[in-house]
Amino acid sequence: MFDKVLIANRGEIALRIHRACREMGIRTVAVHSTADANAMHVRLADESVCIGPPSARESYLNVPAILSAAAITGADAIHPGLGFLAENAEFAQIVGEHDLVFIGPSPEHIRLMGDKVVAKRTARELGIPVVPGGEAVTELDHARQEADRVGYPILVKAAAGGGGRGMRMARNRGELDTVFSIAQAEAQTFFGNGALYLERFLAKPRHIEVQILGDGQGSVVHLGARDCSLQRKHQKLLEETPSPGLNASERQRICDLAAATMRKFGYKSAGTLEFLHQDGEFFFIEMNTRLQVEHPISEMVTGIDIVREQIRIAAGAPLGYSQGDIVFSGHAIECRINAEHPDTFAPSPGTIQRYHAPGGMGVRIDSALYQGYTVPPHYDSLVAKLIVHGSTRNECLMRLRRALEEFVVSGIETTIPLHQKIMASDAFINGDYDIGWFERTFDRTS
Amino acid sequence: MTKQSDLTVDGDLVRALAALLEETGLSEIEYAQGDRRIRVVRNAPTVPAVTVSMPSPNAASGAPVAEAELAGAVKAPMVGTAYLAPQPGAPRFVNVGDHVREGQPLLVIEAMKVMNQIQAPRTGHVKEILVADGTPVEFGQVLMVLE
Repeated sequence: MFDKVLIANRGEIALRIHRACREMGIRTVAVHSTADANAMHVRLADESVCIGPPSARESYLNVPAILSAAAITGADAIHPGLGFLAENAEFAQIVGEHDLVFIGPSPEHIRLMGDKVVAKRTARELGIPVVPGGEAVTELDHARQEADRVGYPILVKAAAGGGGRGMRMARNRGELDTVFSIAQAEAQTFFGNGALYLERFLAKPRHIEVQILGDGQGSVVHLGARDCSLQRKHQKLLEETPSPGLNASERQRICDLAAATMRKFGYKSAGTLEFLHQDGEFFFIEMNTRLQVEHPISEMVTGIDIVREQIRIAAGAPLGYSQGDIVFSGHAIECRINAEHPDTFAPSPGTIQRYHAPGGMGVRIDSALYQGYTVPPHYDSLVAKLIVHGSTRNECLMRLRRALEEFVVSGIETTIPLHQKIMASDAFINGDYDIGWFERTFDRTS
Repeated sequence: MTKQSDLTVDGDLVRALAALLEETGLSEIEYAQGDRRIRVVRNAPTVPAVTVSMPSPNAASGAPVAEAELAGAVKAPMVGTAYLAPQPGAPRFVNVGDHVREGQPLLVIEAMKVMNQIQAPRTGHVKEILVADGTPVEFGQVLMVLE
């Protein structure tokens, strides 16, 4: 088992990783930018190393600085968290070449699933149904041909993209002509690669994703399916499991399929296969070869600590249990709480004046906030995750409503009031929402 | 002294209290008169406004905050191991008291087997050397102070 793990991330996820390490008796090294010198996990970690100024490029994406920090602290392994370098195959490779263990899948698997066009092809070859679409396009003429073949309305996506970013919709050729060059420029800016691909646009799908754990020694299990249909501009606001939109046999079908294909694939570590579900059909869109923000809800219903499993697996341990050993119990929901104005979504960095987190049975807060902490403006706005577990979905809804009432965060704006509005809406209470529902119902800015 | 409603800082009072601290060797004095209260603390550590007891900053944290604000501070532009001489056994690049020209090498930071020279940002004298030879340094850590 590792003696010392370097956490190459920040915010609540860095704290999450620190906690898993400490519970395993592993010492932690927190690398951080100057803007994060007072972060919760930096204070709690056994050691910390400042690796750069606030900009992500010069700190959390700064590979030489991170490797240097690992060298001077004698770390054995690096956990990349999520975002930043977590799905950077070159980073995973370089870490291995420096005699450190990268806590995640192999560089090869990251590479395969990182290119979204290749990922779809790989999924198809493994027997997973995919959203009808085409190969990578770089010229408008080619795009027009592909669009005619696949059929409008069409979604134009970045081949090197993911995470819901860099996507544009076109209802006909005229619109395609307009969005094509914009999408190319955005892809180049966000992902450093202007290649695009086209996909059939589905009108009212649900976003269903399956959590996978593989030990790289032949064992792969699934930890159930999450419903992440509550989204704004393709960013998830709330997630729940099991999905209120699927019946038991559909859930079984997609989870078994995901696990079986990952077994064939020989996947190691944690990963998530994302699907769109419409009219009884599942369509693969992408795979994330990393830990996800919403992993806690799967932990609540299975009792399995996903970060701990990642670390055990990375240290060479076999899974030690099979699918039949995993018991799914109850329902869990997570609210992502952002430092944003609840109506306008304007970012709201600043200093926390008062902080009181909810508690009680079945309530979990994953957050690095504390009274007096200053939320820096340089990074994404997620500041807390409120996760509740209950024996039924109704119990969860009551508990979530109660917990949101108790949650006090002052000094910054947060989206807590927005979640309270969602809790009060009939469609959400009935579990009757697709990926466009939130924007149609609430978003005055879209 | 000052009026009840006066909100300006009484500099004389603060100076008197600070002098008292020095004279008596105390580290903290709190003085109250009516509903006005002032507390003067010597060498206050950077404590956050948090009610939970936090573990103190750890090994690789580097020099105290006050020094980083000094104009003559030479800060590490990278993470690595600081060496005060070009190779083991060789004389140091500089010693305390030395006069240095702008651009003159002060120390090296080794990262991933590559030696990076850290140069004097301007002409001056070496006032303090704040790192020991062969110790790890982090980004922004104050290595030396020039004046």
